[in-house]
Amino acid sequence: MAVFMDLNITYTTDKKRLRSVIETAAHLGYSTVAINYVVDLQQKKQVSSSVFPGKSRPIKVLNRLTVVASDPSHFRPNAEYKAYDLVAVYPTTEKLFHAACMTFDVDIICVAVIEKQPFFFKRSPINGAIERGVFFEISYTPAIRDSTMRRYTIANAISLMETCKGKNVIVTSGAEKPLELRGPYDIANLGLLFGLSEGDGKAAISTNCRAVHLHGETRKTALGIVHTMKKDQPLTERQEEEHAPVSKRAKIETV
Amino acid sequence: MVRLKSRYLLCGVCVSDRRNLSLLDDRAIYTATKAAVARAHGDYGAALSSLGFSVKYLNAHTGIVFLRCRKSHYRLIWSALPFITSLENRGQRVPCFLNCLHVGGTIRTCQKFLVRYNTQQLHRMLPLCQSEAERSEIRKSVLSCTLKKEADDEEEDE
Repeated sequence: MAVFMDLNITYTTDKKRLRSVIETAAHLGYSTVAINYVVDLQQKKQVSSSVFPGKSRPIKVLNRLTVVASDPSHFRPNAEYKAYDLVAVYPTTEKLFHAACMTFDVDIICVAVIEKQPFFFKRSPINGAIERGVFFEISYTPAIRDSTMRRYTIANAISLMETCKGKNVIVTSGAEKPLELRGPYDIANLGLLFGLSEGDGKAAISTNCRAVHLHGETRKTALGIVHTMKKDQPLTERQEEEHAPVSKRAKIETV
Repeated sequence: MVRLKSRYLLCGVCVSDRRNLSLLDDRAIYTATKAAVARAHGDYGAALSSLGFSVKYLNAHTGIVFLRCRKSHYRLIWSALPFITSLENRGQRVPCFLNCLHVGGTIRTCQKFLVRYNTQQLHRMLPLCQSEAERSEIRKSVLSCTLKKEADDEEEDE
């Protein structure tokens, strides 16, 4: 249970604030965080300049893209997605949720927390997603900010738990300020409010997050076996860290 | 044998601005926690938290708080702690959050954990030191951290 990850830190253009959020996360004991770039429908994709604050404590910073989708066609540009470590989708309709669970090439499906869920969860797409290794994400920062959001968060979380029985769930912050983060044990306990059992709550911030990370890494490889790295570009820090990705199968590095 | 068991929650108060830390006192934390539990769990939570709930220790320099509650519902109080966003003290609001570090059955076990935790923090601060004098002070404090000492030694020099 030593490895805690927080996979949702909202990207702000204020680099100092982002840096202080990451430092607070390191102080609280998280070993890995992921900066979340949200892309909405018609908006142009943001520049993915990954900010790497100086590693005062060894914390690993990943990139993550969230696509807010209300139409299946919004989700297909594939080449840009390779630049990100994790890809998430936030479905707003039932059909899209079904498609995201069964067919889309994502790691994380975000569950709505700031509004009443417009559709109900059905067992079949959720079981399909569990088999494929896709995780459902619940973000807890809106619950801290506002009381009405708290009700929506808890309601949506519990309805998710009823259908998925607590499997494949991760709990993340959506922190924009360093004061909105919470420690890992506190979040494991918040899982109790969301309907998770005690073991599931702890898994939601440690082992499940690690599984998401691995899932994201294998998306870059070919079937999880071959891992390629561009060597002609100057090595950014991110690529240096990927030098030894932990993959379940043996990997062959090709240049 | 009937024995009233309790749980001690060891929390650290994290503020963005270190100088605000010294304004804390235990009444503020007590009222803030009760209010958060009442908001999160309603009247049931407010009633439960009035049983055997108290702030046992507060260190304004380091921001460590011991909260004591009954063993039967410490989880309820613990689950409301993330919802505390600020502490109110003599009319001033300090935005902060409580980070729970350890849950123990007695004050002594919590103290043992606290000594280990403080030595870890001191080790972390060592490479950040600017001057040799500070460094030697930290090393001395690390070596002298024991349970017998009344207040855990710490050098807050950043």
